[in-house]
Amino acid sequence: MDKVPKVKQLSDEDLAARVAAGSCSLFEELVSRYSRRLFHFLRHRTETDQDIEDMVQETFLKAFRSIDRFNPEWKFSTWLFTIAGRSAISRHRSNKKIKPDPTAASSLPGPEEIVIQKQESQNIWELANLLSAKEYEALWLRYAEDMSIKEISRVTKKKPVSVRVLLYRARLNLAKIIDQSAFSKKLAAAAPAKHKLSFL
Amino acid sequence: MFCTVYKWLISQAADSGKPVSGFVKNHTHRCDSCREFAQLCESLKPKFEQDKHAILKNYDEALSEKIISALPKERASESVRQRISRKFPARRPVLVTSLAAAFLVVAVSVSIIFLAVPRSKDTGSFGRPSELASAASPEVLLAKAESPLETEYQELKKTLDTTTKFLRSHLDFHIGPQTE
Repeated sequence: MDKVPKVKQLSDEDLAARVAAGSCSLFEELVSRYSRRLFHFLRHRTETDQDIEDMVQETFLKAFRSIDRFNPEWKFSTWLFTIAGRSAISRHRSNKKIKPDPTAASSLPGPEEIVIQKQESQNIWELANLLSAKEYEALWLRYAEDMSIKEISRVTKKKPVSVRVLLYRARLNLAKIIDQSAFSKKLAAAAPAKHKLSFL
Repeated sequence: MFCTVYKWLISQAADSGKPVSGFVKNHTHRCDSCREFAQLCESLKPKFEQDKHAILKNYDEALSEKIISALPKERASESVRQRISRKFPARRPVLVTSLAAAFLVVAVSVSIIFLAVPRSKDTGSFGRPSELASAASPEVLLAKAESPLETEYQELKKTLDTTTKFLRSHLDFHIGPQTE
């Protein structure tokens, strides 16, 4: 009974150090802490939820196998998100060679419908999801993971100046999306049947 | 015209967590676009934080279970490393080996150079002034007389003298300085 609160109280870095020392069962706690966050971080990388789940699983497996290489001087989240980013890139490269299945694509909503659905959402993360993958990831790491510019540059393998520029562009584009979203709501209130056409 | 620069400065302030400087504030009072952008940047952090919890709920709980069940019970890299260490004993540090090899190479090179480079000819047993000074002593003279080079020299001299005498007695010609 005492073990549960004790594990919950441990920091990510402590848990990682203990897993590296041999307490493999403690990795489950890290999985439960990070799987959701990784899922949303990788949302932009693939089309379907199933692919994202596969990427999250792959990330945790890689982290588990190489946890003795984790440097406790850095935050565990930085290390884990770096692995996730790299896995996503390598997966994207390998998937480029495979042609998409047209029958599977027909069942999915079209890009315009997705844009409209997201613009109508009240959640700012849904609006941020309309940004490019790099911009979305930079925003996620900055605001959801509360990482510094240096940490983001480490995860994304970019220079700190490039990260600043990326965040600047993300904010500008997000401002435009929010403007369009507000505009679409006004249109929807005025003429509900026509507002979809404004984005076509 | 300079709105891009002001917006960049506003974004920088949002990244660093510091307030925007005075001249940027003055500009935002006059410029609607930059004011809106500054307000957006200020509101982003609490808004993202607030909506993060809502979006994280939108998640399949079974995924964590799936990942945990897929994890191997033992770390593969660890077991492989243990197997390798059993097969091959731990090697000495590479640095020590490299240093030893480098030292050996240097020693061999110096030896080759020492043997190959021709040195100045030996001037004999009494080449140096200190040796010349000690040449008068009977020990040195005895050593010189007993040296193989000196013995050979004496032998050759004797042979030459004998040959000269033989030739002089049998033939009618003269070798060496003329004597009346």
